[in-house]
Amino acid sequence: MESLSIKSGVSSPSVDFDPETGLLRMGGESYPENSFEFYTPIIAWLTGYLSDVTHPVRFLVELSYLNTSSTKCMIDLLDQLEAGFKQGVKVSVDWYYDRDNERARDTIEEFREDFTMPFNVIAREG
Amino acid sequence: MTHFDLFSLRDVFADQGVMICFNGPFSHSVIEELGTAVRKYLESDAAPKDRIADVFAVFVEQAQNLKNYTSNRLFAGAEDGRFRHGTLVIARENDSYIVSSGNLVGPEDVARVKTAIESVSGLDKVELKTLYKQRLRTPVEPGRGAGLGFIDMARRATAPIACSFRELADGNPLDHEGLSSDGGLPAGTVFFNVSVFI
Repeated sequence: MESLSIKSGVSSPSVDFDPETGLLRMGGESYPENSFEFYTPIIAWLTGYLSDVTHPVRFLVELSYLNTSSTKCMIDLLDQLEAGFKQGVKVSVDWYYDRDNERARDTIEEFREDFTMPFNVIAREG
Repeated sequence: MTHFDLFSLRDVFADQGVMICFNGPFSHSVIEELGTAVRKYLESDAAPKDRIADVFAVFVEQAQNLKNYTSNRLFAGAEDGRFRHGTLVIARENDSYIVSSGNLVGPEDVARVKTAIESVSGLDKVELKTLYKQRLRTPVEPGRGAGLGFIDMARRATAPIACSFRELADGNPLDHEGLSSDGGLPAGTVFFNVSVFI
């Protein structure tokens, strides 16, 4: 499977999904002009990847802001990971946030509430 | 040729605590540029990071709403594109920031905006969270907003969202801008103005 790599823009996140290592990274900010258009191919890639992956998958997120339509897309993305987890894939989510931004932590905690897969919310210096 | 009196405009802005104002057509790149400016300004204003995050988020939701509603196909016919213009202001009043925007909303979108505003009015933070999470799981038509914008703004706000809908009939106060119905504006269009306090 081809890796998936998208460079970040002012309002669109970087994506770096490596099928060999199972490390899937996203970072930056997410309020693109059309969130559904941006996230649809990412979710499609992930769905395909999870259907036959045999090693652990780590979703490493360093997104500092998501607008509401990106948040909705992110739920769809996390749903795919959760579905993979329930089918036996060793999935984990590590989501980093700036410790001075409590609001960012609340947003991530709200994501975590909806899932049973290992989901770490990790503070670090901004 | 008329000399444009920016001095009196600055007076109005100063009186109302306006920090940043944009008036014109909103494109995605305008939203990006303005967003970057808003953040830098708030950082220089020594606002805490949580506060900056809230003001920025409310700005993005309002600006994207504004852009979506003014992209209405019915507004495309205006000769000078003025129906597509919107105004967005970020102001400070004592310890509060205010994000306010004003734009035309086409007849087929008015009910949607009113419903969205009504659905969050009077709800406390816990009820807003419940509604937000419920709406996150509700499928939407592609290309449409997620229906979450006003809920998100209400959750970040420190006071109820203030808004007004001004009917644009013949002889309305906006006539001098050429926005009367015989100026090509679709019947049933309203001027929508919303302010969120953070």
